[in-house]
Amino acid sequence: MRPTIARVTWIVLLAALAGTAVLIAQQPPPPLVTAQEIAGGLKPDGAHWLTFGGNYGNQRHSPLTQLTPANVNRLVPQWTFQTATLGNFETTTLLRDNILYVTGPLNLAWALDARTGRQIWRYRRELPDTGTLTACCGLVNRGFGVLGDKLFMTTLDAHLVALDIKTGAVVWDATLEDYKIGYASTIAPLVVKDKVIVGVAGGEFGIRGFIDAYEANTGKRAWRTYTIPGPGEPGNNTWAGDSWKIGGTGVWVTGAYDPEQNLVFYGTGNPGPDYHSESREGDNLYSDSLMALDADTGKLRWHYQFTPHDVHDWDSTQVPILADLTIGGQPRKVVMFANRNGFYYTLDRTTGKVIVAKPFVTTTWAKEVGSDGRPILLPGNRPDEKGAVTCPDITGATNFWPPAYDPSTRTFFVNAREVCATFFAWKPEYIPGQRFTGGAAQRLRSTPESPVYGALRAIDPTTGGLKWEFRYLNPSTAGLLTTASGLIFSGDSEGNLLALDSRNGKLLWNYQLGATMHGTSPITYMVDGRQHVLVPAGTTLTAWALPQ
Amino acid sequence: MTSLRWVLTVSLFGMLGGGLLAAQVPQNLPSKNPLEGDPAAIQAGMGLFRGRCADCHGMDARGVRGPDITQIWASGRTDDGLWKTIKGGVPNTEMPANPRALDHEIWQILAYLRTLAAPAPTDPPRGNAQNGEKLFRANCAGCHRVNATGGRLGPDLSRVGVARSREVMVRRIRGSIEELGAGYEPVTITPESGQPIRGVKKNEDLFSVQIMDTRERIQGYEKDKVKAVVNDTKSAMPAFGVDRLSESDLDDLIRYLQSMRGFDPAVRP
Repeated sequence: MRPTIARVTWIVLLAALAGTAVLIAQQPPPPLVTAQEIAGGLKPDGAHWLTFGGNYGNQRHSPLTQLTPANVNRLVPQWTFQTATLGNFETTTLLRDNILYVTGPLNLAWALDARTGRQIWRYRRELPDTGTLTACCGLVNRGFGVLGDKLFMTTLDAHLVALDIKTGAVVWDATLEDYKIGYASTIAPLVVKDKVIVGVAGGEFGIRGFIDAYEANTGKRAWRTYTIPGPGEPGNNTWAGDSWKIGGTGVWVTGAYDPEQNLVFYGTGNPGPDYHSESREGDNLYSDSLMALDADTGKLRWHYQFTPHDVHDWDSTQVPILADLTIGGQPRKVVMFANRNGFYYTLDRTTGKVIVAKPFVTTTWAKEVGSDGRPILLPGNRPDEKGAVTCPDITGATNFWPPAYDPSTRTFFVNAREVCATFFAWKPEYIPGQRFTGGAAQRLRSTPESPVYGALRAIDPTTGGLKWEFRYLNPSTAGLLTTASGLIFSGDSEGNLLALDSRNGKLLWNYQLGATMHGTSPITYMVDGRQHVLVPAGTTLTAWALPQ
Repeated sequence: MTSLRWVLTVSLFGMLGGGLLAAQVPQNLPSKNPLEGDPAAIQAGMGLFRGRCADCHGMDARGVRGPDITQIWASGRTDDGLWKTIKGGVPNTEMPANPRALDHEIWQILAYLRTLAAPAPTDPPRGNAQNGEKLFRANCAGCHRVNATGGRLGPDLSRVGVARSREVMVRRIRGSIEELGAGYEPVTITPESGQPIRGVKKNEDLFSVQIMDTRERIQGYEKDKVKAVVNDTKSAMPAFGVDRLSESDLDDLIRYLQSMRGFDPAVRP
């Protein structure tokens, strides 16, 4: 039988369909991102980075070992991505199935091919006139959260948006608060089970801070916990008069999650007005605190206040890191916290009690932390119109740039600053939506006797003691990444990307990026069997790997 | 939160420069500060000034790295001109643009600064600028440039008349200020072989240093490829005591410097 055209067409069509079926069978779409996958943290296959700190403990410690202290000096760039906009990265990128999910300044966001850096989609939020936005210190964003087929991003006009992971289209948009009265949001959401947990910035604008949880599927608010208790609630009496209504206490850096206790841990911002504090006499709970909240209900389990009645703008919005340690022969479940106020803390994360509290930079405002957990203040540190010199300065001993923790050596790493300042205070007037700080600070200049500098410090969390330090010329604002092979990645204030030996602080490799890693941390992952390190700095992302 | 990040943001947006200013100056910008004398505005302006400007201009506005601005009205500047300077910055100087500063915030800052403003000096201007120019050419022009003529090792003084008060100029020339400005810190580099190289530091990181040497050669050096990089503690600017520059010559020199109010191609020799 001779084939007819129709018969040939059928055969070709059937073959094509079979081929497609084979193709589909060979490459099933990746399953949706599950809560279990996020809870699993970073895996030796290096296939994903699904939450701000790498795992729920915020350790930023990768199990990958292809890059080592012996070969890291052979790193070469694989590609560079440029945002093509003004404003800088302050983000932690996410990765899954060879795709990177990146948030940038001005609420821009991208999905990028991790093999090439090429864009798959781009999202841009229609923001109000940027002159009306109140984010105090840059129109930035610190990263996505992810669950199922959605990415979650907070916005400068105080919303939380869910984007379709495959297209970047908006799935839902929830209003956190009214941006016109001082609210903004820059925090990377923390996804716990089926909820997306976020906070608001605005400590310089007379807000009343809160932590919110939203249903990931619908954007419906599940709970809200104010960081300043209302009338009748415990702690409201730590604010004089009505000062609680405009007491700031924002939440703008991602917390940690302990599945065993079902608790989230969030550091809270400064009380407002920042420096002139007569109107808010009292401890001002829960400003400058670590709050432990039930992840399902937002109910406060415990709190620890690092700086009662702060007058130096020392937000405690640093990144908390969770670990299990043996201290004094006893197993302890701890949360570690290097604070802007100059003290390093190891707290019991089941009770909030202080285990270790020790200065990790020059600290002149408190002699020590007493056995009751309260700092023992030193005189002469209350700002006034004439000014009072205090160490650390306004930016603090450290700040929002993420620290890291290596569980194999039980070492906490932080980029620390050695800077002091003269703090001034004067009585401010509250006008909704306007700055409400009541003071200012002027940094002291570097002198040979009292140099201004920064250092990467390796701290023993069981004692607060210093294991080693690597000194920078000037204070660095870079976040950190450690690996199981004994590497630590950091950046200096002059734009150098640095790789060091995490056991001894020896510098192994450096590269001039042309911009600082201000508030950004590198992430690391595997693509096609090769370990990559991805570094956001300024307006560029650069991926590094060993030569093929 | 930090003023550090505010400064970074300001610096970044400063890159937009003058084009942005043109778009942001309101059409009906008043020539006179509408908030002058308003106690609430003065109070708010003090906060804004101290938080955002004082790092360079000093808490008392009498100048640190940036100019003394207490005599800025006495020097003839107008309210609307100063408003534009704050909004748009001064190109090619460290004064950044402030595109995110709200219109009324700038008026508040100016309302506060007005309360610090010094009256115009009642003393008649002293000195002879013509002789001052001669003194400048003989003593200063080896290192300082005005209107595209002179040395490059020290700061360009083409607009020093608006940027520095007489008092600050006197102290600097007499040698009582030893503060080293960024870009002019003295440094000595000792190469693996050859003579030490002296100059001023233009930039530095952990691994390299960029300098202008005393022959005005600009060059970068990798620290691990030289014997030593030593930061000198004494300014390269010599002190001109009364033995080197009489009081009367000092008056002449300052009178000349006060006439330096920005690059003026018409006066190029």
